[in-house]
Amino acid sequence: MFIQKGKSFSFILVFVFILLVLIAFPFFVDLFYQTFLTELFVWILFAISFDLIFGYTGLLSFGQALFFGLGSYTVTISILKMGLNTELALLLSIIIPMIFAWFVGYFSVKLTGIHFVIITIIFAIIGNIIGETWTAFTGGSDGLTFSPPPFRLGLFKINLMDIKGNYYFVLALVALSYLFLRRMVQSPLGKVFISIRENEDRARLIGYNVQRYKLIAFIIAGGLSGLAGGLYSLTLKYAAASYLHWSVSGHAVVYTIVGGMGTLIGPAIGAGIVMFLEHYLINYLQATDLVVGIVLVFMVLVAPKGLVGLIQSRFKKGEVSA
Amino acid sequence: MKLHSNIHDDISLKQFVIPGLTRNPAFSWIPAGVYPVLDTGQESRVLDATNVAVYKRIRFVISNLAIAILNGIVWGLIMALIALGLNMIFGLLHIINMAHGALYMLGAVVAWYLIEVTGSFWIALIIAPLCVGAIGLIIERGLIRTIEDKPITTIICTFGVMLAVQQLVLMIFGGSPRRISPPVAYRFPLFELQYPAMRIMIALISIVLMIGLWIFLRKTKYGLWMRAVVQDREMAVGLGIPVNKVYMWTFVLGSALAAFSGVLAAPIVSVEFMMGRDILIMAFIIVIVGGMGNLGGSVLAAIMISLIQGIGSLFVPPSIATVFALAFMILVLMFRPQGLFGE
Repeated sequence: MFIQKGKSFSFILVFVFILLVLIAFPFFVDLFYQTFLTELFVWILFAISFDLIFGYTGLLSFGQALFFGLGSYTVTISILKMGLNTELALLLSIIIPMIFAWFVGYFSVKLTGIHFVIITIIFAIIGNIIGETWTAFTGGSDGLTFSPPPFRLGLFKINLMDIKGNYYFVLALVALSYLFLRRMVQSPLGKVFISIRENEDRARLIGYNVQRYKLIAFIIAGGLSGLAGGLYSLTLKYAAASYLHWSVSGHAVVYTIVGGMGTLIGPAIGAGIVMFLEHYLINYLQATDLVVGIVLVFMVLVAPKGLVGLIQSRFKKGEVSA
Repeated sequence: MKLHSNIHDDISLKQFVIPGLTRNPAFSWIPAGVYPVLDTGQESRVLDATNVAVYKRIRFVISNLAIAILNGIVWGLIMALIALGLNMIFGLLHIINMAHGALYMLGAVVAWYLIEVTGSFWIALIIAPLCVGAIGLIIERGLIRTIEDKPITTIICTFGVMLAVQQLVLMIFGGSPRRISPPVAYRFPLFELQYPAMRIMIALISIVLMIGLWIFLRKTKYGLWMRAVVQDREMAVGLGIPVNKVYMWTFVLGSALAAFSGVLAAPIVSVEFMMGRDILIMAFIIVIVGGMGNLGGSVLAAIMISLIQGIGSLFVPPSIATVFALAFMILVLMFRPQGLFGE
C-alpha cells in the first residue's frame, strides 16, 4: 500500500496526517477512549516488534510475552522498589529484555520450525513460573501497582498520571519505534532478514551468517517488546506475572495475521481492528476471544497475507486491468 | 501457570514435623522443612529403633514416596494418551496441533455434561471421545485439509481454533471449575496412608487404551496404512492407499485420544475451560523428549517426566521442580532434537 520504497513522500504525508489525527483525538473523545487508544498504541508496538521477527525474518516466536512481561516488570520494579526515575526505568525496560532476548535467542535461533516455536514457549513458561513463584519480588498473580513520577527530558516534562499526558507520551514513543522499524526493514539489514525468511539456505550460501542475523532480529524485537511492556505498565500503573504467560504472545500473532505479516502497517491495522472488535463485542458477548479465534482462522484460510495483503493484491489487479 | 497437575497436591512431607528432634547440622543450609528426607535429625537416633518418632517418620516418608510414585505413573499414563494423539497427528500429518489441549478440555467438559444427564462415568468415557472425535473430523476436513502443507500456518490456524473452543466452553460451561465425583470411592491402605482405587482404575483404562491403539496400528488395515504413510507418503499414494482418508482418521483418532485423557483426568483435576492450555505445552514437551513420530518414546517420556515431577515435588516446591524440568527440556531440544529415545 503506502509503504513501498520510492513512495516515501506519500508515506510521510500519510504518516503525518495519521499522527495529526491521533494528536487531535484526545480533544474529541472522553477519558475512557483515551486510555483505550493508549493501550491500543502499546499493543501496536508489541505487534510490529513481533512482525520484525515473524513477518520479516520468518521466526514464529510464542515467547515474546517473556520480553513484554520483563519490560513491564522492569519499569514497575525500578520505579517502585529502586526509586529510579521514569526515563531510566524506561531505558532499562528496553535494555534488560534485550539482554534476556540475547540469552533466549542464543539457544533458540539454532533451531528451526516447530522446535523454535516450542523452545520460545518454554522460555516464556519458565519466566511465568518464576514470576508467579517469586511473589516477594514480583507480586505474583496479584501483581504490583505503582505511580510513576513525571517523565523529564531536559526542559520537557510529561505528567504520566494524567491520562492525556500519558496518551501523548505513548503515542510519541510508538510512532518513533514505528519509524525506527520501518527504516530498519528498508535498510540492507532488513533485506537480509527478508532473504532469510524467503530462503534460509540461499541466504547462507550467499555468505550471510544466518543465525547471527536471526539473533539480531530477535534481540531488537525483544527490546521493542520490552518497551511495549514498559509502556503498558506506565499506562495501567500495574504489572503482573500473567503478562509473562506465553498466550500473551498470541495477541501479537493475531494482530499480525489479521493485518498482514511482513508489512509493519498491517499488524498496526490488525491491532486496531481486533481491539475495536473486542471492545464492541464485549457488550454482547462475554467471551470475545471466541470471535478473535474465528477471525484468526478465517484470515489464515481466506487471506493468509492479511488485510494489507488483500488490499495490495486488489491494487495490483486493478493496475493490470487498467 | 501450573504445569504440574494437582494430582500431587494431597501429599506433603512438610506436614510431618516431629517436636523435640534437633536438626542435622549437615543440612542446616537447607531451609527447614524443604528437604525432610535428609533432615531426619541426628543419625544416631535414626538407627535407634526405640525412637518411635523417627521410625514413624521414616514410615511416613516411605508411604509418601509410594504415593508420589503411584501418582506419577497414573498421571504419566494420562499424559501419555494426550501425547500419543499429538504425536500421531504430528508424525502423519506433519502439523502441530495447538488445539489439542482444547480437545482434551472438551473431552472433560462433555463428560461432565454426560455425567450430569446420565449419572454414569462409564457412559461418558465412551460417548465423550466420540463427540470430540466428531469435532476433530470437522476441524480436519474444514480447516487443516486446506492448508496442510504449511506448518507455520497450521500452527496459527489451530491456535485460533484453540481460542475459539476455549471461549465457546467459557460461554456455555462458565468460568468456574467443577468437579466430577469419582465413580469408585474405595480407598485402599498404602503403608501409613490411603490411596484412591479410582486412580488405579484410571491407569488400567489408559493401559488398555494404549494396548488397543498398538493392536490397531499393528494388526488392522488402517493401522498398516498409517504406518505406510508415515514411512513414505509418495510411495503410499502410488500403492493406492487413500492417504487423504488416512489423514482424516488419524486426526479423529488423535482427538479422541485427547478426549479420553480428558475424561480420565476429570475425576482427579477440576474441569474448567483453561485446563487444556498448559497441558498442551506439557504434551509438546513429552513428544519432544520422547521423539517426534516415536509413539513408544512418548509413553516412556510421559511416565518419566510425571514421575520426576511427582517425586521431585516431595523435596522442592512443585513450581521449582517444573522450572528444572523445563530447563532440561531446553537442553534436550538443543542437543537431542530427535528425542531422548530416538536413534
